Amino acid sequence: MSASVVGRAVSRVEGVAKVTGAARYAADTEVTGVTHAVLVKSTIARGRVTGIDTAKATAAPGVLGVFTHQNMPRLTVPGPQTMFLKGFLPVQDGEIRYSGQPVAIVVAGTLEQARYAATLVKPAYDAETPQVSLAANMDLAYLPEPHPMSGPPVYTRGDVAAGLESADVKVAAEYSTPLQHHNAMEPTAMVAAWDGDRLTVHASTQGVGDLQRSLMAAFGLPGESVRVVCPYLGGGFGGKALSWPEPILVAAVARQVRRPVKLVLTRADSYTASGHRAETRHSLQVGATRDGRLTAIDHTLTQQVSRTDELMFNNPGQTRVIYACPNVRTTQRAVRLDLPIANFTRSPEASGGHALESALDELAYALNMDPVELRLRNWSATNQETGHPHGSNHLRECYRRGAQRFGWARRDPRPGSMRDRDGLIGWGMATAAHASGGVPGAGADLVIKEDGTARIRSATQDVGTGTYTVMTQIGADVLGLPLRGVEFALGDSAFPRSVVAAASTTVPSVGEAVVRAATQGRDRLIALAVADSKSPLHGLDPKRVAARDGHLFDTERPSRRIAHREVMRRHGKPIEVVVSPAAFTPRRFSVGAYFAEVHVDPGIGRIRLRRVVGVFDPGRVINPKTARSQVIGGAIWCVGIALTEHTLVDPYLGRVLTPNLSGYLLPVNADVPDIEVDFIDRPDPSSPALGARGFGEVPSTGLTAAIGNAVYHATGVRVRDLPITPEKVIKS
Amino acid sequence: MSSDEIGAESTATRRTVLRAGVAAAAAAPIAAGQDTAAADTEPAGTQTGPARVPLKVNGRLHEPELEPRVTLLDALRERIGLTGTKKGCDRGECGACTVLVDGRRIKSCLTLAVMQQGREITTVEGLAHGERLHPVQAAFIGNDALQCGFCTPGQVMSAIGCIEEGHAGSDAEIKEWMSGNLCRCSCYPNIVAAVRQAARELR
Ligand code: FES
Ligand code: FES
Repeated sequence: MSASVVGRAVSRVEGVAKVTGAARYAADTEVTGVTHAVLVKSTIARGRVTGIDTAKATAAPGVLGVFTHQNMPRLTVPGPQTMFLKGFLPVQDGEIRYSGQPVAIVVAGTLEQARYAATLVKPAYDAETPQVSLAANMDLAYLPEPHPMSGPPVYTRGDVAAGLESADVKVAAEYSTPLQHHNAMEPTAMVAAWDGDRLTVHASTQGVGDLQRSLMAAFGLPGESVRVVCPYLGGGFGGKALSWPEPILVAAVARQVRRPVKLVLTRADSYTASGHRAETRHSLQVGATRDGRLTAIDHTLTQQVSRTDELMFNNPGQTRVIYACPNVRTTQRAVRLDLPIANFTRSPEASGGHALESALDELAYALNMDPVELRLRNWSATNQETGHPHGSNHLRECYRRGAQRFGWARRDPRPGSMRDRDGLIGWGMATAAHASGGVPGAGADLVIKEDGTARIRSATQDVGTGTYTVMTQIGADVLGLPLRGVEFALGDSAFPRSVVAAASTTVPSVGEAVVRAATQGRDRLIALAVADSKSPLHGLDPKRVAARDGHLFDTERPSRRIAHREVMRRHGKPIEVVVSPAAFTPRRFSVGAYFAEVHVDPGIGRIRLRRVVGVFDPGRVINPKTARSQVIGGAIWCVGIALTEHTLVDPYLGRVLTPNLSGYLLPVNADVPDIEVDFIDRPDPSSPALGARGFGEVPSTGLTAAIGNAVYHATGVRVRDLPITPEKVIKS
Repeated sequence: MSSDEIGAESTATRRTVLRAGVAAAAAAPIAAGQDTAAADTEPAGTQTGPARVPLKVNGRLHEPELEPRVTLLDALRERIGLTGTKKGCDRGECGACTVLVDGRRIKSCLTLAVMQQGREITTVEGLAHGERLHPVQAAFIGNDALQCGFCTPGQVMSAIGCIEEGHAGSDAEIKEWMSGNLCRCSCYPNIVAAVRQAARELR
């Protein structure tokens, strides 16, 4: 008998659709009579539209409508419970809150016609001087109102002042991370079509349910009248996690022109449409005893918010949770600037973790202690914020295994001590960690068909993380069916409600729902088999019956068995199960350890990442293949965050200067070194999802600090302001 | 086009694509900050309206009604209905729109459809024979060289070009010659593994 499909390195079940071009993303939706929309964006960052000349655009060939705040239908601004967090809808009034805010929408028969007509729309502005620099406006920092999505504005345990006072060794440092953009390869796209009062929107979103609810709110429609569909998503990374105005605006203009309307954001649009990782500044004070035990951490994080929201998307969770330290304070301050709302960005805890893990490296040097040893000494079996034990936490083994694979023992800690023929070599390490779960659960439904195969559905999303595949594996495992006997469907708001696919929550929420639905379905199947007088399992205690390889069998005499297909054929009608969302999923932390080697050319300051080792504890690994890809992806995100990515904003005009992929430097294939990945792979006994925890965000934390720490080890230069560019290395 | 020029175009990375962009879409002013490289100007010249443009795609002749300003990418996606080819930037920086024209890889957002009449255009939809995948496609699945899959059609087409050109001799070479195709899910090491494997199989 074959082993379980859970834990196997299964190839993506939707792989063929993706390599043949058959997978249809939002912009690929075929809708007859579709028309095309193009946005006209504000060129000022603050002020008012005093008038918009639309005459020429309206008269241009093919144009079906030009919509400004003067002729747009009035729409209700959806509330935050729909994950619409922006606080206002553009093209509803003349006020400008940031450069790039949509001020008009042009709809035409073809994309070329719409694009040309959009260039003819001429807004006039009354412009004010914007404030867009965090550095220049730090004196405006304030403590925003608490919000469930922001984490606590101020968190304290113990007595931080006394803890610092009692420390033998102290480190105080400031770190900063720049504005960055998600830049999913798929630009946000949507096609809105009305059929009477019923609206269907094909949209690239991480949350079909949230987007549906935001549309319901905007148009005052009941749930059954609005459907949001997204079977394939071309990456999200948080940028498609919230509900955004564009689908609402496009649906509104589609109603006006009485035709389906498609809007595909341009790459440039995406730099102001879907949020960003806010620029952050961190002030850290860390104290420890001479033998390396932390006595206090004081972490103040200041981040940019917009004029219309005060959400803080960069909650410094790791500082509160992972290390044993009696006296901790985290403070989150905000500075309002004339920039768009920020957003969660893979991963939200990356900036806070970067600052903490960099400071710990500085502390290790101050203590003259190995940085791995420092972390081992402060390992904690409990979540230090909640005081509850972790479900499981094999972080110490991650350090040990990672150090061994990397060859860490051969490291000479003195900066500048390791070199090769053409430059300096640096080795650095850091902890990776991120919250997982802690959100409401998901629902699912299941049908076991008369042919013995099953279909499971949930209104979740596959952002590229592997949801299609791992949910199919989980369903097949519990039902005792081969992989091809289970189909998992997602990306439709008509399916049972789920949470947004983000923040390492999909496995804990949707995975739990799939386990529950499949367990109920299997039990119903077993009940049928033991009740049927013609079944070989007739009369057995159902507890003695298990399911595997498409059969139900007697666990005490496995040759006594009957195929699912046979049970269902005799039953003559499908088994249907619906499970509603669990109230919550347990809040956990997933962890890992990164080790990195950099090579620095001392002449020109060029930094090359040479190799990376990452060892992680995600609980049980459902699919080593997709999990490994998550790690590689997260690690490469860290390479971009650490070394190249930085959105430049003109300090006077407030405009993004790099709204493209040639000015904003994403890592490319040639930038990427060997990345060695390993998992502890031990089930978390507290997990409701077959021992697995949420994990996706973890690998995109920590490596930024490991790289910075390695650059310090190579050069003796501590670059505390990301990205670590050659000029910063040389200048110091 | 000489083979040198072909080489130059194929090595284009995101840092050098603007040069190629100027050559391919001469009508378009290109500046940092402009949304797209495609011609946003009013159709000019003797013929301005749409006309039937014969395009041979995956061995089949299509004759979409096109204005001269329509890019090959938009012709494929919006007129012919072949949406496998993706638009990630519309200005030559990401490679999601890569197709083969007469066997060479090009970025279909940087060329006008009318310029490709009479050429053999191959898109990702034209690779598999029924259920039988092209070795590059199969290697991408096997090596998990895709996550969200949005860059994948471009990566697959580019990989075929890379192997054909003889630029898949080592991992370092593959990395270099596949760097014109961005992948934000960042599957790069797996893409290298897939190209390496497919190159071996195709040899
Ligand atoms: S869409 Fe053509 S290179 Fe990006
Ligand atoms: S697989 Fe998502 S961008 Fe490459």
